[in-house]
Amino acid sequence: MRTTKWERAVPVYGVPVLTRAFYVLASIFGVALILTVWREYFGLANPVSGMTDGFAWGIWKTFNVMVLTGLGSGGFAVGIGAWIFNNHKLHTVMRTALLTSFMAYGTGLVMLGIDVGRPWNFYWVALPWAWNGHSPLLEVAVCVSLYTCVPLLLENVPPVLEYFIYKVPNYRPTVEKIEAVFTKVYPFIIALAYLLPMMHQSSLGALMLLAGPRLSGLWQSPFLPLLYVWAAAWLGYSCVVLALVLPALAWKRPLDLDVLGLLNKIAVNLVLAWTAFRFLVILVRGDIGLAFQFTSDAFLFWLETATILGAALVLRSESGKKVSKMFYAHCVLATGGMIYRFSPTTLAFHPRGGALYFPAAMELITCMGFISLGIMGYLFAVKKLAILPASIEDWKKMEAYEAKAPKDPFARYLSGKQYATAD
Amino acid sequence: MAMTRREALEKIAKGSLPVIAAGCVSTAMPAKAMAFEPEPGKFPEEAVGLLYDTTRCVGCKSCVAACSKANDLAPDTSRDGLHQAPGDLNWQTKNIIKLYKSADGKEYSYFKKQCMQCADPACVAACMFHGLTKNEKTGVVEWNGIKCVGCRYCEVSCPFGVPTFQWVGFNPKIVKCELCRHRTVKGQQPGCTSVCPNKAVIYGKRSDLLKEAKARIAAAPNKYFENKVYGETDAGGTQCLYLSHVDFQKLGLREYGEESIPDRLRYQKMLYKYLALPAALYIAMTAVISKNFKHVEHELKEEEKHSGLRPQL
Repeated sequence: MRTTKWERAVPVYGVPVLTRAFYVLASIFGVALILTVWREYFGLANPVSGMTDGFAWGIWKTFNVMVLTGLGSGGFAVGIGAWIFNNHKLHTVMRTALLTSFMAYGTGLVMLGIDVGRPWNFYWVALPWAWNGHSPLLEVAVCVSLYTCVPLLLENVPPVLEYFIYKVPNYRPTVEKIEAVFTKVYPFIIALAYLLPMMHQSSLGALMLLAGPRLSGLWQSPFLPLLYVWAAAWLGYSCVVLALVLPALAWKRPLDLDVLGLLNKIAVNLVLAWTAFRFLVILVRGDIGLAFQFTSDAFLFWLETATILGAALVLRSESGKKVSKMFYAHCVLATGGMIYRFSPTTLAFHPRGGALYFPAAMELITCMGFISLGIMGYLFAVKKLAILPASIEDWKKMEAYEAKAPKDPFARYLSGKQYATAD
Repeated sequence: MAMTRREALEKIAKGSLPVIAAGCVSTAMPAKAMAFEPEPGKFPEEAVGLLYDTTRCVGCKSCVAACSKANDLAPDTSRDGLHQAPGDLNWQTKNIIKLYKSADGKEYSYFKKQCMQCADPACVAACMFHGLTKNEKTGVVEWNGIKCVGCRYCEVSCPFGVPTFQWVGFNPKIVKCELCRHRTVKGQQPGCTSVCPNKAVIYGKRSDLLKEAKARIAAAPNKYFENKVYGETDAGGTQCLYLSHVDFQKLGLREYGEESIPDRLRYQKMLYKYLALPAALYIAMTAVISKNFKHVEHELKEEEKHSGLRPQL
């Protein structure tokens, strides 16, 4: 494992975009697209989904939206650390965080459109006088669409502008003018990019307030919205660490243990405070007895606590020195957090008379298809744009490598193999 | 009256300020001004409902068949292809008779399930674009297909598991009992009450039904469970009322207390009131970020001098 000081975002170079893994992801997504057409025509009944009137929400909402937007909260959580708490070290990982967020939110939003039964009526979202201002789902729908389509999209624009500046010299003066305007309004954009997720990530928790006592007391409380947005924050940090370490393993890119250690520290502190607060809420509300009954809810509660708290304690003792251990601990932490975000709508929710839910095969494939789309977008972007952090030396190496590239842009895009091998 | 131009302008500006402010607020929170606001424990004067008495029901299910006919729904015979025997409410079934039987078989009761028409319905609070609304006059919770997105949040939020979704086809609907509003406007009875042979379920104004239920309890003090009318105050009060000789919980009518389900959103409502808190937070964050942004810009320029590469945002 090569270590360095992260100073600059550098594209992943010397690796083709169209790899075998990319084809596999593309074919899963292709199947999912066909199934989507099927779903729109025949409806959501079996065999399309396992949803019933008891469990009216399936994994398209509860996993692709509830869980994955939590995991994709890096853009907002790391952004707050960088811009509001003025943590300069975090700026180098912002592009990675924003890209993962965009992929999670973008595919989640598409999935939401496929899940709803009467999508042609969704235009009401643009007409504020038609809104039911008290509905938590309205808050989610408005803020998620707005966040994904405006501030989050704009936050991902600088790497694209940079691409044009370097690759298309003719456009350079125009693009530089756009960039200058962009830099002026940037603070207003990112403030919106932190306000909207705070609102909708908490409202995702508020959704289940209306489930009342049908949601186990180990999750249900007036603080569920706060716990949800808080969990999104540390899940975001965890996901950013994984999105930084995995490419380092795959493409032998350098790691900055200093920055990773900082990300770890913030994540661990957030998790420990979150766990303490969660226990406090359950204790004060007198629901702790539920955790010591022989039920699936109690098992689930301890599974969440064990994975989340266990991983946080391992990370705390490790403080980012041993990368492999840190990587596994973050995998466990992210899994625990994902279970927490998944439980209230599905695993710990007990709707009418003994209803059960298990996703149908077609539902699972569609779910995976749109996750694949997100991963494909990520893989494409990190290879074409400067997203992942590296050192200035790496940038210079990349420039030297690019100098050998053929000038014809079509040859560069269409050839499955890159023009030379990395040294 | 003499007035300088400056004074006149000031006067106009002052006068229009509240108008502008009111305009901003009403665009931000239009739901407040426009829609009828349901409240727990409060019913429209003409609120209608049903009164169902388990001691009178013989389980003939003629109300189930009558409901299908009155609402033009194809009978759900999916169980055996012969009988209209749905397991629970579904998109073909707005009304159902269930049977509760204790393990030893000694205690049993029929139970009619349909929409309770809550005073403060969870489904109405949940619905994004007022696809489900509570009628200002009759208090009936009505579905409007033009506003419904098919998100099924009503199903997740309903404490009684009533709204159902049409799982088949490309134009699905939310199906729930609307107290045969198409029949009652013509002065007819709802399908279910029009055929009940034993008057186990009756239709009328909620206030009359409540009086009738109390009179039945007064006439036979030990007959009914806890001498209670379920729905009088439960979950904020419902327009459909129940009398039972067995525990309501066993029939699937949970104890919700007097608090309505949407009451649970009260802290959310406070946080979002007039969008004041989000707006203040936005302004504060913009101020902090702008300050930090200058530092970062300066740092980037320093780096540019050092490395000779374009700064990256």
